[in-house]
Amino acid sequence: MKKHSVDLTVNGREASLLVEPRQSLADALRGELGLTGSHLGCEHGVCGACTIIVDGDPVRGCLMLAVQAQGADVVTVEGVSPKVGLSEIQAALREFHGLQCGFCTPGMVVVLHHLFSENPRPSEAEIREAISGQLCRCTGYQGIMNAAKAVAARHQSKNV
Amino acid sequence: MTIGKPVVRVEDERFLRGEGRFTADYTLPFMVEAHIFRSPYGHARIAAINLDAALALKGVHAIVTGADLPEGLAPIQCRIPTHGDLSPYLQYPLARDKVRYVGEPIAVIVADTRAVAEDAAELIEIDFDPLPAVTDPARAIEPGAEPIHESGNLAGRWGFDLGDVPGALSEAAFIASDSFSIQRHSAMPMETRGLLASYDAGRNLLDIYGPTKVVHTNRNMLAAMLGMGEAEIRMIEPDVGGSFGARGEFYPEDYLIPFVAMRVRRPVRWIEDRVEHFAAINHSRDCAFHVTVAANRDGIITAFDVKLVTDMGSYIRTHGDVVPSHAAASFPGPYRVRNYRIDAMTVMTNKTPTGTYRAPGMFEANFARERAIDRLADKMGIDRAELRRRNLIQPEEMPWYVGTESVKRPTIFDSGNFPLIMDRALKAYGWDAPFEREVNGWKRGRGLCALVEPSGLGPFEGVRIEVDQHGKVQIFSGSSNQGQGHETILAQIASEVLTVPMEKIRVRHGDTGIITFGGGTYASRTAIMGGNAVHSASVGVRQKALDAASRKFGIAVEDLDLREGAIWHGHRNEPVVTLGGIARMLMPGNQEILVSPSAGNIPDNDGLVVTSYVRGVTAGAAVFAVHMADVLVDPETGETKVERYFVACDVGRQLNPLIVEGQIVGGVVQGLGGTFLEELAYNEDGQLTTGTFADYLMPNVYDVPPITALVFEESPALTNVLGVKGVGEVGPSGVGATIGNAIANALATDTGLNKLPLTPERILQSTGFGGLQ
Repeated sequence: MKKHSVDLTVNGREASLLVEPRQSLADALRGELGLTGSHLGCEHGVCGACTIIVDGDPVRGCLMLAVQAQGADVVTVEGVSPKVGLSEIQAALREFHGLQCGFCTPGMVVVLHHLFSENPRPSEAEIREAISGQLCRCTGYQGIMNAAKAVAARHQSKNV
Repeated sequence: MTIGKPVVRVEDERFLRGEGRFTADYTLPFMVEAHIFRSPYGHARIAAINLDAALALKGVHAIVTGADLPEGLAPIQCRIPTHGDLSPYLQYPLARDKVRYVGEPIAVIVADTRAVAEDAAELIEIDFDPLPAVTDPARAIEPGAEPIHESGNLAGRWGFDLGDVPGALSEAAFIASDSFSIQRHSAMPMETRGLLASYDAGRNLLDIYGPTKVVHTNRNMLAAMLGMGEAEIRMIEPDVGGSFGARGEFYPEDYLIPFVAMRVRRPVRWIEDRVEHFAAINHSRDCAFHVTVAANRDGIITAFDVKLVTDMGSYIRTHGDVVPSHAAASFPGPYRVRNYRIDAMTVMTNKTPTGTYRAPGMFEANFARERAIDRLADKMGIDRAELRRRNLIQPEEMPWYVGTESVKRPTIFDSGNFPLIMDRALKAYGWDAPFEREVNGWKRGRGLCALVEPSGLGPFEGVRIEVDQHGKVQIFSGSSNQGQGHETILAQIASEVLTVPMEKIRVRHGDTGIITFGGGTYASRTAIMGGNAVHSASVGVRQKALDAASRKFGIAVEDLDLREGAIWHGHRNEPVVTLGGIARMLMPGNQEILVSPSAGNIPDNDGLVVTSYVRGVTAGAAVFAVHMADVLVDPETGETKVERYFVACDVGRQLNPLIVEGQIVGGVVQGLGGTFLEELAYNEDGQLTTGTFADYLMPNVYDVPPITALVFEESPALTNVLGVKGVGEVGPSGVGATIGNAIANALATDTGLNKLPLTPERILQSTGFGGLQ
C-alpha cells in the first residue's frame, strides 16, 4: 500500500511520518516516532487510553488517521511530562494512588493537563466531566478524582 | 519502619510519564506480526480450508492451521485439580475438525505487519457446516441436546453433603428458598493480551515477552508442549495493564505465537485487539444457584441446601472448574452452619471458555447466600444484621473447618473475630440510624452482606535477594505484578528488615530467567506468599551479614546489630561495616574472609545473596468483611443511584494502607460493574452480542459512589509470619449481594432482584411493574 508523508509538530518538535492512509495517528506516533506512552486499549474510541492533544483539543489517537494530522500540533503524554520527575498533576496522581496498572494513566494525565491548562481551578463536576471519557479498570476513579481535586484546591488557595 | 506506612508507589513515576513498557511497546529486529483467524460460528464442522489466496498475498510469511500442529500434541492442561476427570473437554491450540465457540482459533497468519495479516485473513476460505449452537446450560443437559463434545454436555456433577440437611429442613421454623443467577462477565483489563516470541534456533533458546500471572507454570507447560527444556524457555513479564484473574493463564496463543516464531525463524509479535479479547479471554461467573436456607425459632440458621449450575463454556481451560468449586466450598460463608448440602453441575455450552475473575466463585456465592438470608430475615421479621450476627462463627471456634474442600484443599478459616468486626462495622456505618425512606419520589434502601474471602492460596513462593557492593538491594521475586503495587510492598518488607531505604531497593518479578521457581500472582497471594518469602530472605541476608561481620572483625554476633543499612557494634557510634562492604567481602574470590587460592578447589563465598522458598499453607488466610450501601431507586423507571458504599474488613496486618484502600475501592467499582452493567450476552446462534466497549458497559467516573474502606488489623493471620491477609478480592466480593439487598429494602419487595445484572427492567419487575423479561 502506498505510503504518504505527513509533516506535523509533536511535543514542540517538527516530525515527519511515512504512513499508509489507513494507519491511525496513535499507531504512527507509537510505531514511527517511538512515543509508546499513548496506549491502545480498544481501538474503537471508547477507553480513552490513546488520548492526545491535537491543535489544542483532546482527541482519540485511535480514531484519527495519521494522514489527517498534516500540519497539526500534537501533544502526547511524553510532551506534558517534565524533563525529569513529575508534573504537579502527575505527582498528585501518585500521592493519591490515582493509578494501579498504569495502562489508562497516560490518557488520564493528558486530559487532566488539558483541563488544568484551560481552567486551573476546575470544580468537582468539571473534573468529572473531563475524565468521563476515560476508562480505568483498577482504581474506581476515587484516587484520580481526589488527586485532581487536590490540585484544584491548591490552585484555589494559591490563587493560581 | 516502612511496613504499614502509606508509602507512595515506586512504580508510579514511569507510568505517569508514559514510560511504562507494555507488551505492545516491545519490538525486535526483523520482527513480524501475527493475526489469529477465529471461528465466526458458535458450533460448526470445518469441511475444508483454502489458504491459497491468503498465502499469495505480498508480505505473508506463513499460515498455520490445526493440520500443521505436531502429531500427538496434547491439549492445554488444567493447572489445578478438578472435581472428576475433565480431560475430555480440554482445548487444543487450534481447532481441527470442529469449532465450538465464536472466536475459537482456526489459523495463525504471520505477515510483515498486523495490517497485512488481517488483509490475509479476509482471503482465507473455509467451508463450515454449521451445527445447532447450545447456549443455555439447562437445555444443554436435556436429552437430545446437540453434543458439543463426545463426552456429553454435562462435564461434571459433584457436591458436598454435611450434617443432616433433610432433618434440619423438616424441623425448621422458617425457610426461604429461591433461585439466584450471576451473569457471564469478565475481568476486562484495559490492556489486551499480547506476546512477543523470539527463537534462537542455533542455541535452541526461546524468549517470550508478555506472559504474566503464573510465568513459571506457563513456561513449564510450554516446554512440555514443545518438547524443550524448561530453562531453554524464558518468559518475561513486561508492565501489565491489569489481569484480575483472567490475563496470564496459558491460552491457545501462548502455544501458537512461540510455535510460529520457531517456524518462521523471526521474532513474532501478536497484540490482541479488543473485539478479539472479548471472544478469546476467559469469561467468568455465569452460574445459577437454587438456595434453601432454614432457621429455627431463635433465628439460628440450621441448614443451607443448594443447587448450582455453572456454564463452563465450550472447553475446560487451565482453571478447570475452580469457579464452582470455590463457590461450593465456601458457600456457608462466615456462618456456623453445619448442615450444608450442595449439588453442583458443570455444563458445556457453545460460548467462550471460562476461568477466574477477581473473587472467583465468591462474588457468586455471596450474592446467592446473602440475598437468601435477607429473604429469611424478612420472613422472620428480624433485623437483617441481627440475623447475621446470631450466626457468625465465634472467635473461640477458630480455626474453623468448613468441612468442604476446593482444589483438593480443605476450606479452613485460620483466624478472625467476626462478631467484633461486624459490630464495629455496623456502628461505623450507622446501620441502625433511621433514614428518610423516600426522596422526591425515589425510594431509599439499605443493604448489607457479610463474607469470608480466602486468600494466599497456592503451593509455594520464592525470592532471591542480592545485595551488591554499593549496598543496593535487588529482590528477584517468583511472583508477578499486574498493577497491584508489588514492586512497592515487597520493597517495603525488605526495607524494614534490612534497614535500607526504599530508594536502594529494586524489585524484579515475573521473569523465569531471574529465579528458578515461582508461584505467581492470584488469590491475593503475593502480599502473603511473596511477602513472606521476601521477609524470610531478608532475615537470611541479615543473618548472613551479621555472621560475616562477626568472623571478619572477631566480634560475637550477639554484640552486633543491623541498622541504617550497616553493622554496628553495640552502642558505639560508628558502624563497623556497611551492607555493601559485607557484600564485597562475600564475593567469591575475595580473600578477606576465606583463605588465598589453594592447591585444590574449595567452596568459596557465594555473595550476600539469599534464596528463600516458603511453603504454602492449606488454610491460606481468611479475610472477614462486611459491605453496606445506601441506594436510591426510582420506582417508576427502575433507575438507581448508589449514594454511598462501605466496606469494613480485617486484613490482619496492612503492608501499605494506600494500596489496601486502593484495592478495596477499585474492587468495589468492578463489583458495581458486575452488579449493574456488565454482561457477556449470547444469542441463540452462539454469537456474542456485547462484544465491544459500546455494548459491554463498564463503570465510568459517573457510575461511582463515594466509597469508604474501614480496615482493621484485629486478627493477624496465624498462617504467615507477617500476619497479613489478602485484600484483592474483598472489594468486589460482596457488591452484588449488598446492592441487591439494598434495592429490595428500598422497594420493600420479597420477590425478584435475584438475577444479575440488576437492570432497570429487572428492578421494575421485582415490584410487579414492568412485565419485561
